[in-house]
Amino acid sequence: MWSDEVADALGVEVTMAESRPVADVAPGEWRSAVTAARDRLGCDFFDWLSAVDEGDDGMRIVAHLWSLADKRGLLLRTLATDGLLASIVDVYPGAAWHERETHEMFGLDFPGHPHLAPLLLAPEFSGHPLRKDFVLASRVAKPWPGEKEPGGDHGGPRKRQPMRPPGVPAAGEWGPSEQDGA
Amino acid sequence: MPSRRGIGGVLGEPIRFILNWGRKYSLWVFNFGLACCAIEFIATSMGRHDFIRLGVIPFAHGPRQADLMVVSGTVTDKMAPAIKRLYDQMPEPKYVISFGACSNCGGPYWDSYSVTKGVDQIIPVDVYVPGCPPRPEALLHGILRLQEKIAGEASGIGGVKRDAASLRAPLVTPPQGQSDVE
Repeated sequence: MWSDEVADALGVEVTMAESRPVADVAPGEWRSAVTAARDRLGCDFFDWLSAVDEGDDGMRIVAHLWSLADKRGLLLRTLATDGLLASIVDVYPGAAWHERETHEMFGLDFPGHPHLAPLLLAPEFSGHPLRKDFVLASRVAKPWPGEKEPGGDHGGPRKRQPMRPPGVPAAGEWGPSEQDGA
Repeated sequence: MPSRRGIGGVLGEPIRFILNWGRKYSLWVFNFGLACCAIEFIATSMGRHDFIRLGVIPFAHGPRQADLMVVSGTVTDKMAPAIKRLYDQMPEPKYVISFGACSNCGGPYWDSYSVTKGVDQIIPVDVYVPGCPPRPEALLHGILRLQEKIAGEASGIGGVKRDAASLRAPLVTPPQGQSDVE
């Protein structure tokens, strides 16, 4: 079984998700796990690397590694709590741009990366737009068009209680206050 | 209709009509295709819809040979300087059609961190074509509206200065005391 091979090579528990094994490793084991996936599991193809903002838990970094010869791969995950993770550019050179993108989108640091410069965002952009605490200023400046009930407003009680998505601050929490006369 | 007629820097009515008639049926078009709307633009240029029968000539060899720029697609903040630069390279008289919801106002990406909320924030727009994406017939209609506009322009020796401010909509102020969540 492929998932047993993965568990053996990485020395961690492996769960199956969407027909491919998912291995959670400790952040300190990240580089050795990636190296083991390449050298012992035959994952010669680095597909992608990105992150997920898990809120107070930290940042989960996910990498998809694939074996072209055996047509099988795995998802490698780790939870970085202090905002940094060792770079894997020397293991997979193709990870360089992915780590740069993750760096600018999530504000994660990758020590060991040779050139951790912004990749996609405009040069004057400030902030890390894929973090959940990144404020979408348009949502503050304009009323939400989804406010309208289907079929129009009839003045009755709201049928749907809107949920505030990440990036949308509560009223009066962000931006110029009404006293400013803005 | 133009306010200034006759002698005094502006040609007489028959000459003005002839000049504008010639200008409105030889619009060398320059497609700034940025997203799926560009596909609809291409469809409009091909055999079935065929906007060359309206005198829109595909495609200008570059912005310096173009009379009309069609911005079709999602304008991002990173692409915006390129649009401004190519617009500046076009010779006067020049016209802009904003094609599709994204280039009109940001469209479905109105709250995105990276999308410009309307191409009219950087260049003056003559005709807005709504839709997501608009049908090719909508672009044909927009072209007809633009040609009506050209036909109504003043015409003079050395050209007539166009006022960019007359094409701009006033700034929208944020709504007061409104919030997206109650």
